[in-house]
Amino acid sequence: MEERERWGSRAGFIMASIGAAIGLGNVWRFPYICYANGGGAFLIPYFVALITAGIPLMILEFALGRKTQAGAPSAFAQIVGKKTEWIGWLSLFAVMLIFLYYPTIMAWSVNYAVHSATLRWGTNPQNFFFNQFLQNSSGPEVLGGIRWPVLAGLAVVWIAIYLCLFKGVKAVGKVVMWTVTIPWVILVIMVVRGLTLPGALEGLKFYLTPDFSALLKPNVWLAAYGQVFFTLSLAMGTLIVYSSYLPKKSDISNNAYITSLANCGTSFFAGFAVFSTLGYLAQSMGVGVPEVVKSGIGLAFVTYPTVIQLLPFWAPFFGVLFFIMLLTLGIDSAFSQVEPFVAGFTDKWHFSKKWVLPSVCIFGFLVGVLFTTRGGFYWLDIVDYFTCTFGLCLVGFLECVTIGYIHKAHKMREYVNEVSEFRIGKWWDIMIMIVTPVILGISFVFELVKLIQHGYGGYPRWTSFVGLGVIILIIVLSFVFMKIKGKEE
Amino acid sequence: MPASAIVMLIFGCVVLYGGLIFCLRRAIKGSKKSEGR
Repeated sequence: MEERERWGSRAGFIMASIGAAIGLGNVWRFPYICYANGGGAFLIPYFVALITAGIPLMILEFALGRKTQAGAPSAFAQIVGKKTEWIGWLSLFAVMLIFLYYPTIMAWSVNYAVHSATLRWGTNPQNFFFNQFLQNSSGPEVLGGIRWPVLAGLAVVWIAIYLCLFKGVKAVGKVVMWTVTIPWVILVIMVVRGLTLPGALEGLKFYLTPDFSALLKPNVWLAAYGQVFFTLSLAMGTLIVYSSYLPKKSDISNNAYITSLANCGTSFFAGFAVFSTLGYLAQSMGVGVPEVVKSGIGLAFVTYPTVIQLLPFWAPFFGVLFFIMLLTLGIDSAFSQVEPFVAGFTDKWHFSKKWVLPSVCIFGFLVGVLFTTRGGFYWLDIVDYFTCTFGLCLVGFLECVTIGYIHKAHKMREYVNEVSEFRIGKWWDIMIMIVTPVILGISFVFELVKLIQHGYGGYPRWTSFVGLGVIILIIVLSFVFMKIKGKEE
Repeated sequence: MPASAIVMLIFGCVVLYGGLIFCLRRAIKGSKKSEGR
């Protein structure tokens, strides 16, 4: 068996974990989910999700990986019992669904980096994005042929992911030192320009004013938990495999606090750039902030180009820089999604990484072609919704229940406290055993009923059944992979 | 800007950025201690 790799330093691990966590989830997904769920109405569930599930589950996953020194399936098999190995596989299949569509967003960024040189979106970024760049079809049932520029971008992205992962975890640590810090500098420029636009205050009001009636809506809660899972790379096996590369005596709890706070701090900050621009757009279009952008998933590709267009100097330069930043933000998250999937195979069957990695990359590229079609935008929206709302939330729920009740939460807490700079108290047991599973369980049932009755996002109802079918398929696959014997069994 | 929005802004900043600075300081101290040993 190949010897397990190790991080070069603690800073390398923290930066890689932040890198895995800080990605398009902060700059692209957080603003759009927040926008689609009513702005300020979303923030309270989001902060609750961070405190009750984000930080506790990150501690749990770091501990699982560090204790077992294995990827997600083996970690569950070792800690909880062989019969729970499928939960680890389920997390890997959930992350697989993400890395099938995630590189498409990066492919958009590749194209936009080129278009930025001439500010091709002109004065109407919304029209450019939907009608000229994506050339969207009438709905998910009409694929309408491949958009070749997007496909070319997708190929570039997958080659980059392969090259980064081929070099191993130490190289990942070095890459993310840059891909995490540079974006923050560019983001500051975007926020400053956004806040100085006329009408920005209206956008900020929409972003920050809490709406307590939204607390009664299960879909807002599920969206918040799904976003926290997505943005922190939780329930994907990523953090388990990253922490498995840690030496046995490394800190757990403080690394988890730093990673999750840095991540959500970035999302919160990016929100100021997006919502201040939305305020400006609302004023110039003479509509309310919620009516500015017709589809949330394309929000980032409408608002950021607007800010870039309005920069007083060097707009093309900052445009290129910004979209390269989106690309670098995405790339460390993308390889953090591919890495646990590859590790799942190399851990159980001792396949050589030399073969598994290119196979996974080619598979990812081929399936990703679906999202480069003219109807691909809708499918991206559908797959993103089902993966985060049902896939990740389900894995998170199962992690809490198995570790909390079968392995016993207090045992894991004692293990964490032995090695951590911060001792965690009994609150952690309560979050893992009661709060998170209860909120997730209730929201899950309500959302499922609503989905079966009304479908998702105004798309035809059959698309919801396809989405649910995919989730059921990955559950079945998880059991199948658990049953196939590993090399050491 | 409504008062509730300002409260949300302050809460977000204190929890996220205040918490991050606190944890980073603790980590740096911890690293120095272990180097000293």
